[in-house]
Amino acid sequence: MYRLDTLLYRTAKRQEGQTNVTALLEATHLNKAFGATRALDGFDLDVAAGEIVGLVGHNGAGKTTFARATAGLATLDGGRVRIAGEDVAHHARRVRPLLGLAPQELALYPTVTARENLLVFAGLYGIARRDAARRIDELAERLVLADVLDRRTRMLSGGQQRRLQAATAMIHRPRVLLLDEPTVGADPITRDALLAVVRAAADEGAAVVYTTHYLPELDTLDATLAVADHGRIVARGDRARLLASVPGHAVVVFDGPPPALSVPVTLSGAEIAVRDASVRITAPDPAGVLVPWLAAHPDAARHLRSIELHPPTLDDLYRHLVAA
Amino acid sequence: MTSPTTARRTRVAAEIRHQTILLARDPGPMMGYLVMGLLLVTVTRPLYAALGGTGSGIDQAAAGMAVMFSLFALKVAAAHLLNERTWLTWDRLRASPAGFGEILFGKAVPIYVALLAQQLILFGFAAAVFGLHPRAGWWALLIAALAWSACVLLLGAGSSTLARSPAQLSAAGDVFALLTTVVGGALVPLALLPSWLRAVAPASPGYWVLKAYRAALTGTPQQMLHPLVALAAFGALGAAVAALVGATQSGTPRRLRALIGRPSRAG
Repeated sequence: MYRLDTLLYRTAKRQEGQTNVTALLEATHLNKAFGATRALDGFDLDVAAGEIVGLVGHNGAGKTTFARATAGLATLDGGRVRIAGEDVAHHARRVRPLLGLAPQELALYPTVTARENLLVFAGLYGIARRDAARRIDELAERLVLADVLDRRTRMLSGGQQRRLQAATAMIHRPRVLLLDEPTVGADPITRDALLAVVRAAADEGAAVVYTTHYLPELDTLDATLAVADHGRIVARGDRARLLASVPGHAVVVFDGPPPALSVPVTLSGAEIAVRDASVRITAPDPAGVLVPWLAAHPDAARHLRSIELHPPTLDDLYRHLVAA
Repeated sequence: MTSPTTARRTRVAAEIRHQTILLARDPGPMMGYLVMGLLLVTVTRPLYAALGGTGSGIDQAAAGMAVMFSLFALKVAAAHLLNERTWLTWDRLRASPAGFGEILFGKAVPIYVALLAQQLILFGFAAAVFGLHPRAGWWALLIAALAWSACVLLLGAGSSTLARSPAQLSAAGDVFALLTTVVGGALVPLALLPSWLRAVAPASPGYWVLKAYRAALTGTPQQMLHPLVALAAFGALGAAVAALVGATQSGTPRRLRALIGRPSRAG
């Protein structure tokens, strides 16, 4: 069942602009330095209920410091994090029940079982034993952990421990969920299981910040995108809109020298390079350039050997933004 | 909707239960120190009887071994607190709704019970096998054991904040335990120690707990008062070290930072 704030958010998302959506998580101009290193340098990020934000960036971009500051584990030099309108720094006791955190490093009790790990975190969030047992069974089933619940945590594989860590962060159905690279070491099947649980948490109304280096996961999650670089967000928004700003390319190979080239004037911005028998077209929409170009050159079409289309990917977007 | 009080009880109960499981899953060190204590009570009793000239020697043997092996067990208490840092679970506890005090209380209760049980089993063994009988009453011996277990727990909390690794904690813990035991007169009766060692003995918590145990075993309850105050002071010292050193490390609770005058830099 969807929560009201999720429905409101989705309704608002469908409308033009998305400025009226109230964010569950608001990070405003965060600053944090470790000696001469500026880990956060004007970091801004808002996340609405029901939204999954894929937070990407190279190591040292500020992702983990942001997660720690949001969880109240790092004091900020400046800026403010608010969860459901409450300042994390000043109302920690009110905010903590709303937050679920799965940090980048494994932070579990290795000498006890997976179930006992889940039970202690459930208890720390005030969940009664009977309710906790039900929730543990539910999460274990969905995260493919049911068979290892009563195994000691140190005996679990790396991927199982990652999923267990994510489960401990979600045990209390937090309204804001911070997952820092939760799928490291996961095989494709268990990765899909975890992504489905994260998507379900957002569908129930959670605001999710999902840090990853595997950008295709963000397509599966239908996540919006935030790119961090040097302690700040350098791009934020819908994946399709951001991808539109990144060039892809098409490679057309002929069975001889390419015919004379002329780019349609309506598609300015395309770069065309000729090398031996191939033509490489670089443009935000390479197919949109290629089709009219071939239509304008029927002789060329008769000498075609192959066409490869490479629309821009999230990896391209990331490289494009960070290089910029 | 769960009331705040119920939620707090649930959190503390969860932490107590969890710490009990952690202790139960790794019983080796505590069991080892208990068995060694029982063995040494047995073999040192005739030695103390010969040295003392009167009595069966069980008073000195039981009290001395209870002190020495509870000091070794201090490492267990400290290791359980240090584990939270090496496993990186301390941050997750801090990010939970459980307050600093709730977490520490929940962790302390099972460790305290284990330390107390170690003392009581040693004295119970000495009573059952060698006829130990506290002249001031069993209740007086229990009070001394309660106070000493609390003191050891707090000293363990302090040392866990000073140690940077389990290996460092183990080495430092062994040296501290042996030094405190020897200087306090728990291993070799004070009267047989060199005069310079007797002069520094009051600096050891072992000296004061031994006085408290002797008062319970061979003296009067009134004679326990001074040693118990001294043990409280050592316990307070351990707590202060834990609080102050812990506060300088990352992740100090805001309230504690305010208490020691280091305001948050959060703006």
